[in-house]
Amino acid sequence: MKKHLTVIGLFLILAFSLTIFSGCAEKKAVVKDEAIQEQKVAAAQEAAPAAVTADDEAARKAKEAADREAALKEQAAKDEAARREAARAAWAKKNAEALVELSLQNIYFDYDKSAIRPDAREILKANAEIFTKNSSAKIVVEGHCDERGTAEYNMALGERRAQEAKQYLVNLGIDASRIETISYGKERPLDNRSTEEAWAQNRRAQFLLK
Amino acid sequence: MDRKYRLAVGTLLVLAWIFNAAGAAADKVYIDIDAPGFQQFPVAICDFQIKTGDPSKESVDLSDSVRRYLDLTGIFRVLDKKSFLEGVEPGSPEIIRFSDWSVIGADFLLRGNLTVRGKDVFAESRLYDVTRGQMLFEKKYSGITDDLQSVALSIASDILLALTGDPGDFHTKIAFVIKKKSSSDIFTMNYDASDVKNLTNDHSIVAAPRWSPDGRYFAYTSYKNGRPMVFLRHLKTGKEKILASFSGLNLCGSFSPDSKKILLTLSKDGNEEIYVLDIETMNLRQLTHSFSIDVSPAWSPDGRKIAFVSNRSGSPQIFVMEADGNNVKRITFEGNYNTSPSWSPRGGRIAYEGLINRKYQIFSVDDEGNNLIQLTFDDADNEYPSWSPSGRQIVFHSRQNARSRICIMNANGMNFRILKESGDFLVMPAWSPRSEQK
Repeated sequence: MKKHLTVIGLFLILAFSLTIFSGCAEKKAVVKDEAIQEQKVAAAQEAAPAAVTADDEAARKAKEAADREAALKEQAAKDEAARREAARAAWAKKNAEALVELSLQNIYFDYDKSAIRPDAREILKANAEIFTKNSSAKIVVEGHCDERGTAEYNMALGERRAQEAKQYLVNLGIDASRIETISYGKERPLDNRSTEEAWAQNRRAQFLLK
Repeated sequence: MDRKYRLAVGTLLVLAWIFNAAGAAADKVYIDIDAPGFQQFPVAICDFQIKTGDPSKESVDLSDSVRRYLDLTGIFRVLDKKSFLEGVEPGSPEIIRFSDWSVIGADFLLRGNLTVRGKDVFAESRLYDVTRGQMLFEKKYSGITDDLQSVALSIASDILLALTGDPGDFHTKIAFVIKKKSSSDIFTMNYDASDVKNLTNDHSIVAAPRWSPDGRYFAYTSYKNGRPMVFLRHLKTGKEKILASFSGLNLCGSFSPDSKKILLTLSKDGNEEIYVLDIETMNLRQLTHSFSIDVSPAWSPDGRKIAFVSNRSGSPQIFVMEADGNNVKRITFEGNYNTSPSWSPRGGRIAYEGLINRKYQIFSVDDEGNNLIQLTFDDADNEYPSWSPSGRQIVFHSRQNARSRICIMNANGMNFRILKESGDFLVMPAWSPRSEQK
């Protein structure tokens, strides 16, 4: 009786494990890529009629290697082209930004003054048009001073110049929340000389898109 | 080890002070050095005599250091020791022929002796009033051979205390900014220009360096986060916190006398105004209300008034208001560019820079706007005055062509000295409070 049960048990285990293995094999087959299967079939067809000579075997291997190499080369060329395209696009984007910023002109101020001069009004209008066209970008207005006088007072004066320019842009319809001001006082001159000409260049507001 | 020594020196100094025979001399101001027409004290400093052992390098070093420190104060004329008539006779220091000293022009005479035992040094010094033939003080000092400077500083400090009633500015530092092309950093140095150290090293833009009067904190404006913000540094731990990072300008002003509050210039509401910030609670209160620029606030030493710069009358001028912002009064009327007010620690006077004949010069005026004095006259631009803790000296920056300097002068404009010179811009000096005696 005991022996009988053991035999039945062993049989059951065998049957069970067989089911599992066959199940696994089935799943693997389903997962297999169609392409790979096709390749295998092609390879089998190619290999089947051919006489199995050493020369043929070598030629086949050489061809395979050449094909592989060609495929790699093609892929590399594709990658390179994509890279170039990305770089070109980035360059174009950057260049476009640079072009926009180039057309953003500085405005200039009188000594120890932050009032917008008449000659600055047209420039501010032109800048406002660019800001309107690039409506998603933030705007930074930098205020600068000439080298004369106290660093601290000049930081305040530079801020004042930036604020006046900002207010003018807001009056032209630019959303105030887009505009950020920053004063560099006399710390970032455009022209390092100590001449009237240099000072006039340095008393300015500069505009950036961000 | 070094600290223990310093502590020991300190304790001995205090003891020496308590048992000082002529301590009473310090109670009254011997000579009013602020009186008009004050002449520098002509003083002769003898080399310290060696009591035991051979005449050594230390004795000359010590007397040379005392001479150098006295010279730095700007109120002494230290006589050349080559002019001394009296031969120094070892063993008879008590016999002094005062006539030998008065004939070479010395009003005061310092003599002393030095004992070197291994690494330990013990010094005794006596200060005499030559014209009256009196001893003003006699004191004992101790220290170590490697740190004779500390002994020299203490002797110089005692001489100053005996003659002026104030220990002077020896234990102080000066912060300043070195500006290269488009970046700047804050540095500190000792009062004698030694021991230059970086306080910031961000290669950004810095401005408005300020010490707290208790010597524990340092505040400044930096662009290191991309735009101007005010930072507070705990000097011992080096820990920093941001005091102000509002939109627009955040510019450091000045600490209150109790070091608990700080004045700031902020443009967060579209226009520069002066605010007071409680450093602990970060509670902010607006003090000025004007459509003009209000900047560079400086607290009076009694905490009751604030001097600041405003262009509310068209050009930058110095104004004074009550600490709560009331009762604003203009105090400068000469010229059309007066900025950088700095309040004397002894109260009463405000130093500032003003434009005259196309040059910036240092002036001082009382807090009512009276008694204006021009302090610098040379062909340089002299700017950014900051008073020493004794109120007897002013540090400022000076620029002429490519030469940039940090300079010191007496509060009356006399005795101009160059502390540091460079091809880079040396700007915005700020004198520290006195450090606690080591």
